[in-house]
Amino acid sequence: MRQRLLTPSLLGLPLAWLGVFFFAPIVIVAIYSFNVWSLFPGPHGFTFAGWRSVLHSHVYLHLFWKSVQMSLIVSVIIVVLAYPLAYYLALSGTKRKYILLLLLIAPFLTSYLLRVLAWKVILGDSGVINTFLFWTGLRSPDHPISQLLYSRFAVMLVLGYIWLPFVALPIFVTLETLDRRLLEAASDLGASRLRAFLRVTLPLSLPGVAAAFFFVFVPTLGEFVTPSLVGGASGYMYGNQIVDLFNTGFPDWETGSVLALFLIVVVGVLTVVFSRFLQPQQVTAE
Amino acid sequence: MNDVALSKNGARVLRGFYALVVIFLYAPILVLLVFSFNNAAIPAFPLSGFTLHWYGEFIRNTDLRAALGTSAEIAVLTSVGAVVLGVLSSLALARRVFRGKGAASALLLSPLVIPYVVFGISLLLLFHQLGVGRGTITVVVGHIVITLPYAILVLVPRIEQIDASLEEAAFDLGASRLRAFRSITLPLILPAVLSAFLIAFTTSFDEYAVASFLIGTSPTFPIYLYSALRFPSQLPQVIAVAVVVLVVSLTVVVAAEAGRRIAERRRGLVR
Repeated sequence: MRQRLLTPSLLGLPLAWLGVFFFAPIVIVAIYSFNVWSLFPGPHGFTFAGWRSVLHSHVYLHLFWKSVQMSLIVSVIIVVLAYPLAYYLALSGTKRKYILLLLLIAPFLTSYLLRVLAWKVILGDSGVINTFLFWTGLRSPDHPISQLLYSRFAVMLVLGYIWLPFVALPIFVTLETLDRRLLEAASDLGASRLRAFLRVTLPLSLPGVAAAFFFVFVPTLGEFVTPSLVGGASGYMYGNQIVDLFNTGFPDWETGSVLALFLIVVVGVLTVVFSRFLQPQQVTAE
Repeated sequence: MNDVALSKNGARVLRGFYALVVIFLYAPILVLLVFSFNNAAIPAFPLSGFTLHWYGEFIRNTDLRAALGTSAEIAVLTSVGAVVLGVLSSLALARRVFRGKGAASALLLSPLVIPYVVFGISLLLLFHQLGVGRGTITVVVGHIVITLPYAILVLVPRIEQIDASLEEAAFDLGASRLRAFRSITLPLILPAVLSAFLIAFTTSFDEYAVASFLIGTSPTFPIYLYSALRFPSQLPQVIAVAVVVLVVSLTVVVAAEAGRRIAERRRGLVR
């Protein structure tokens, strides 16, 4: 009896908080996207016009695909890089695995903007790499390597740099819980290490790989801070477009809301697809 | 024992790869460290001499100090909010059996997957619609939403580890719910409460995207940094601040993790 009364009183406040400050705001975005509410006074009412113009516009859809491609490339590359790291830490039998894991993850727990700043300092025309090349005479000061900064490459490099430590964690968690007796059995039955890896370890660790991919792909898809700092025009992403529709001198909240809601729908679908791979302990270093 | 997962050479190759990645991760931070002491207005080679000038500039910069203060205030309020809501939800999720528990937990964790740009805009629209002015409180409201899932993820496993019969014993001896929580449960989950607080604090302190839509006239530290990044003349002192913040946050992270492990080991409850 006591329990039944207590559960609502425990969950009431947190759920109410999220209801008002998380779910209701998303509904408001939807309302704006159909122009039922509008930034500007004057006549407005329910219309699909915003949605129709976005879905027929080559600009927005093209930008969305470009962002999907960029996030996809970054996510795949860093998952592939992180796998051997997680494998080494989880399965090599090193005694210091938690310390080595912490060393790997620690940069992720420090300031995001400052890590972007570091790359800005490194990649600029008069940045560390270029001036080092001038100084050593490997390159003339009149011809810096200017594609380093303000490019799609710079955005992908920095995003990869930022998310790499984080990606190792979910893979590490699944590899660590792997039953080693399976590998011993495979070995006893005459399987080589490679074969045991391909037939046992890799398939069993795929949920962790899928979770790792998901946890990078989703945030990088909506990214706008890194592209605005190191991307220039060619590194401009979908998230930047949303911000510009809300923050510039000529705001267009209706179109911006359509783009924002579209992203929520895509992320929602991805979450449902990936949900069976996601486990809570993958995002905390417990 | 020759290992079934890795040959000796394989382990050697992977160790080398691990070392390379760690160098890649720390080199940019090291570059900032070096140039924060470099006696030149632009961070470039060759290095032109050692100076503490930029650290002095940073200490004298009142705007910057004000921004750090604003961020600290927001981060403290956020962590308190996230920990209170987090403890309430985690007690329900870890201790109670009720219908719709899976759904409740999915709802509580859902802020983990929302792109921050979208969330920032959604809250902006809400406050616009309600006629609420933007300021530190609106940022705190948003930050509590995004840090709550982290608090829950840290707290739930910890509460699940505690033997429920301890609380039942307290009830049998006549303690109220609140009393049992205060004198039995809370002391036992204190290390996890502290980690939840620290995670919420550091996340909030560093958060730019959501804050950029919700802040009023007094910028947070990340917002100050972001705008400073557009003025090259401020770059060296920003680098000095960067170094201070990076070193402090790395120290806090490592110390917190070490402290938690020691505390839990001392209680003999973990590994």
